[in-house]
Amino acid sequence: MILFFILAALSVIFSLAVVFQRNPVHSAMALVATLFLVAVLFLTLDAPMVGFLQILVYAGAIMILFLFVIMLLNPEALERRRVFWWGLGSTAALVLIVEMAALLSAIPAREGRIAAVAEGFGSPEMLGRTLFRDFVLPFEIASVLLLVAIVGAVVLAKREL
Amino acid sequence: MDLNNLDSLQFFYPEIVLTGVILFLILVDLVVVDKRWVGYFAFAGCLLSLWATLRLYVAPEGWLFHRMIVLDNFSLFFKVVSLVAALSVMWISFSSREVRSVHQGEYYTILLTSALGMFFMASSTNLLMAYLSLELVSLTSYILTGFLPRNRRSSEAALKYLIYGGVASGTMIYGMSWVFGMTGSLDYARINEVLAPGGMNHLTLFIAFLFILAGFGYKIVFVPFHMWSPDVYQGAPTPITAFLSVGSNAAGVAILIRFFFPAVSRLGDEGNWLFLTGVEWPHFLLYVSMVTMTVGNLCALNQQNVKRLLAYSGIAHAGYILMGLVVLNNEGLKAMLLYIIVYLIMNLGAFLVVVIVANATGREDIEGYRGLARRGAAIPAVCMAIFLFSLTGLPPLAGFVGKFFLFAAAIREEFYYLAVVAIINSVISLYYYARVVKTMFLDEPSPADQQVLMTPKDSALLGVLSSLTVVFGLYWGPLVHYTNESLRFFMK
Repeated sequence: MILFFILAALSVIFSLAVVFQRNPVHSAMALVATLFLVAVLFLTLDAPMVGFLQILVYAGAIMILFLFVIMLLNPEALERRRVFWWGLGSTAALVLIVEMAALLSAIPAREGRIAAVAEGFGSPEMLGRTLFRDFVLPFEIASVLLLVAIVGAVVLAKREL
Repeated sequence: MDLNNLDSLQFFYPEIVLTGVILFLILVDLVVVDKRWVGYFAFAGCLLSLWATLRLYVAPEGWLFHRMIVLDNFSLFFKVVSLVAALSVMWISFSSREVRSVHQGEYYTILLTSALGMFFMASSTNLLMAYLSLELVSLTSYILTGFLPRNRRSSEAALKYLIYGGVASGTMIYGMSWVFGMTGSLDYARINEVLAPGGMNHLTLFIAFLFILAGFGYKIVFVPFHMWSPDVYQGAPTPITAFLSVGSNAAGVAILIRFFFPAVSRLGDEGNWLFLTGVEWPHFLLYVSMVTMTVGNLCALNQQNVKRLLAYSGIAHAGYILMGLVVLNNEGLKAMLLYIIVYLIMNLGAFLVVVIVANATGREDIEGYRGLARRGAAIPAVCMAIFLFSLTGLPPLAGFVGKFFLFAAAIREEFYYLAVVAIINSVISLYYYARVVKTMFLDEPSPADQQVLMTPKDSALLGVLSSLTVVFGLYWGPLVHYTNESLRFFMK
């Protein structure tokens, strides 16, 4: 439980840092740290597979892409605009917090005990079975979606093909 | 029936054929020299898929792929609608000058993928599938909107569409996560079981539904999710505008009905749907419907561009279609399905005339239609008048029948205000539709205006669509029979 609070507090701090950092590269690095901490949270929840995937895919591959894009765009060239969305942003955040509270109060309490996880929960076998048996159709649709996205990106980006 | 993956495949031929054609088109585009063949292959593939879909009408109803999608008359209806829309749009594209300037292979591939997405939108019974199919349709729509090379307006429209779409689908998936959090399931049947006894926090459910409606509403183009539509309709290649206005709209209605009726409500004995008690959802939709039709019609009054005008008229029609939801009974839903068919026919027809005029003159503004009847285009002008008067809802045209059933459903459930607002709106819409007709017939063409000639392909489709508009206005029996048969959901 103490471990959870430490991890939770750290990930909140880092995610705040993502928003408040001036330098986009620092923001990106803070995001890496946040994703890493969330991965550790998954590990403590008996879901090692999800945890490692989180590190490999998000903290690894996707963040590298982020950094590439930031470097290609040259952050120095971006104008530093005055932040005048503060009021709107914080109102929206407040509304979301209230909604979240309403949601939490809507769920009946779980009688104080935590359900034990099934044998092999979160293992690669289990994940594979769920993905390729129950969810095989969404999996295939997602592959069509990605294919079309790639084709579309090429068509739109390379006008002179 | 509740089939596993392998057994489901025998009821999955339309989608398999369509996916196969999509992959085939990407390959065949690399080898054929005459790119027109790509379009013809796509057309043939769509016909094959339509044949496979019609064959499924005799198949038993049931869940496929571990309850991911469902096979019932309701989903088959929307599959037929999206295929017919795709086929007509391809037919229009064959002779469109705009489409000739784009990459044929990718154009038809993405068009078919969009139709495939609409298939899944109509049939998904799982929130994950619903989200994925909606994204499939959205993504392909963004790409198709921005397809015109070196056209600022097209690129700008695509970007606007992308940003609105991203926000809407983000909001929707957030709402879905709430429903998942409250019910512990993504499966519609399971969600229904959990919600049926009541006891959930009403406010929370209401907000969750509101978020989900944002995603669906942006596809159907309700107010306040309508801002993208005029720019996108104007910027996109015209055949694609036609496709978005009928196909994407119909698929949005399908996913909306599927979620808010079989998944969330309970069917009463007399074909009335009982919504979750305490959640004032239908009343909310009542106001959305009234505001949507009014805003659409008022904004359309001043438009100078025909595509923009049709965009605002599309918003108004989304408002009319919503009336069928508000009454919460099967009669209203049947009227919606009927209206979707009628709207498909007349709107495709109107856009076809826009394409014919744009092919000849390159113009889309109302000025470009000056004296159209006296510039060698008497037939398109007469057909356009038929479509526009049908959109207004004048008898004896199909649009009148469609509106009649919707208004009747509202009046029978004593939603008099709604019916009155809808009728006033129809009168307002007469003004801007008639303005186009007046320009075509009464205004003198200036010497600079070119002659407008049609290709045989265009005139064939124009003939079919305009005669259907007239025929269904006089003899709507088969149409009513078909929509009555189509309103069958598989629930357990």
